[in-house]
Amino acid sequence: MAVAAVGFAFVVLPLVGLLRQVAWSQLGADLTTPQARDALRLSLVCSVSATVLAVVLGLPLAWVLARVEFPGRRVARALVLLPMVLPPVVAGVGLFYAFGRDGLVGEYLYRWFGVQLTFSTAGAILAETFVALPFFVITAEAALRNLDRRYEDAALTLGTPRRTVVRRVTLPLVRPALVAGAALAWARALGEFGATITFAGNIQGRTQTVPLAVYLLLESRPQVAIGLSVVLVAVSVAVLALLRDRWWGGS
Amino acid sequence: MFRFPRTGLIVALVVVVVAAACSSSSSSTAKPKPSSTTGAAPKVAGSVTVSAASSLTGAFTKIGADFHTAHPRATVTLNFGSSATLATQIQQGAPTDVFASADQSNITVLTSAGLAAGAPTVFARNRLEIVTKPGNPKHVTTLADLAQVGTVSLCAETVPCGKYAAQALTTAGVTIPVGSITRGQDAKATLAAVAAGDAAAAIVYVTDAKSAAATVASVVIPDAQNVVASYPIVVLKAAAGSAAARAFVAYVRSAAGQATLRSFGFLPPA
Repeated sequence: MAVAAVGFAFVVLPLVGLLRQVAWSQLGADLTTPQARDALRLSLVCSVSATVLAVVLGLPLAWVLARVEFPGRRVARALVLLPMVLPPVVAGVGLFYAFGRDGLVGEYLYRWFGVQLTFSTAGAILAETFVALPFFVITAEAALRNLDRRYEDAALTLGTPRRTVVRRVTLPLVRPALVAGAALAWARALGEFGATITFAGNIQGRTQTVPLAVYLLLESRPQVAIGLSVVLVAVSVAVLALLRDRWWGGS
Repeated sequence: MFRFPRTGLIVALVVVVVAAACSSSSSSTAKPKPSSTTGAAPKVAGSVTVSAASSLTGAFTKIGADFHTAHPRATVTLNFGSSATLATQIQQGAPTDVFASADQSNITVLTSAGLAAGAPTVFARNRLEIVTKPGNPKHVTTLADLAQVGTVSLCAETVPCGKYAAQALTTAGVTIPVGSITRGQDAKATLAAVAAGDAAAAIVYVTDAKSAAATVASVVIPDAQNVVASYPIVVLKAAAGSAAARAFVAYVRSAAGQATLRSFGFLPPA
């Protein structure tokens, strides 16, 4: 019991420490400084875009991993989930060598289309998608795999075309899992730091999302940094509240 | 149960790792011993924790090793980072014996807070330089070129190299668009954006450009626009009684230490 209390305190104390430091009366002013506003706007735009991309790319991927038997499926699944455990900075370095101006794919993007992903908002979105995608895939794949096939089979035997079965039967049945997966992916994208700063750089107004802004502002304007941190804590709490029914039976 | 041996092995591994980590940071009290025959400086013993600006990484790593060779019973632990971050850490009680900063203001913060033992002394100076990708593909020749070259990497505004860069740009009358500036936490990170990243150019110290050698090309900033950075060093109050700390500072200012600094591209203190 005592050890559990220590564990609980360990997790809760940093939050308490942070909340103690907030100058509540100044919070509004702190969060409307240009750098804070830019960071909040960028974080919102990039994390939502990354989540959309993660769902668009992840759903077909999850489907194939859950339903299609092919040789090397387990290896493929492990590779798709790799960004989840990879240190984010390492992910950033990998992204650089793949999509940087001289990278595997980046070289052609630049030479043929003049597109440079590093140091751009698109690059920040790319980095966030890379780390957030596995979170969506793992949730969606588990749900698709564990789905009772009888509902789909019933629909098929009744003559419904396959595509309609997916749209009207399968997806609605796994919708709670998809929402949860998207929420997880969004929270991960929001908090992304290492891959973003390595690949997309730290440019105010372009790639300086909230975690990057906090990193810089801790030196110069700690109050603003703390204010931004509190915003992220509040968002995290909201995500957990949204997911509470999946992880523990609403208590 | 077959689980027991495996658990025991893991516990043993953890104990070994923790013990190794702990023993490498243990310290003994400093006790200067009189030298034997040569009449050289008395050998000191004890550990010295030195926090130094990241631009001093190469030079101080060598100085630390040379100091240990000269005083085999003294160990030097080096901690590099941006001078601003290090000063904050010291103010918050980080156990440090010696602080070498890239500008005066971060030392002043400590002396005003009464955290320094004695007056700081300038031990080296540095200048700024522009670095680009090898071969200078964008043909950067002056500070003015930085305004339209693409992404430029600068140090954060509160970090000494960031402040110096801002000074140089103001003197040259150049404004780089905000959307083109990527900020690095310290000089090394700022340079890495060019050496290992896609930034077109960066403003870093001459010494950083020199250490980066073939991974970047350097463009000289004329003296009229350039900034001279003075590096002060000071022993901190917590180490006021440490002969090893004072000996380290003395070594940095000695002919041997100065020669090492010179070899890395630093200018003499005056």
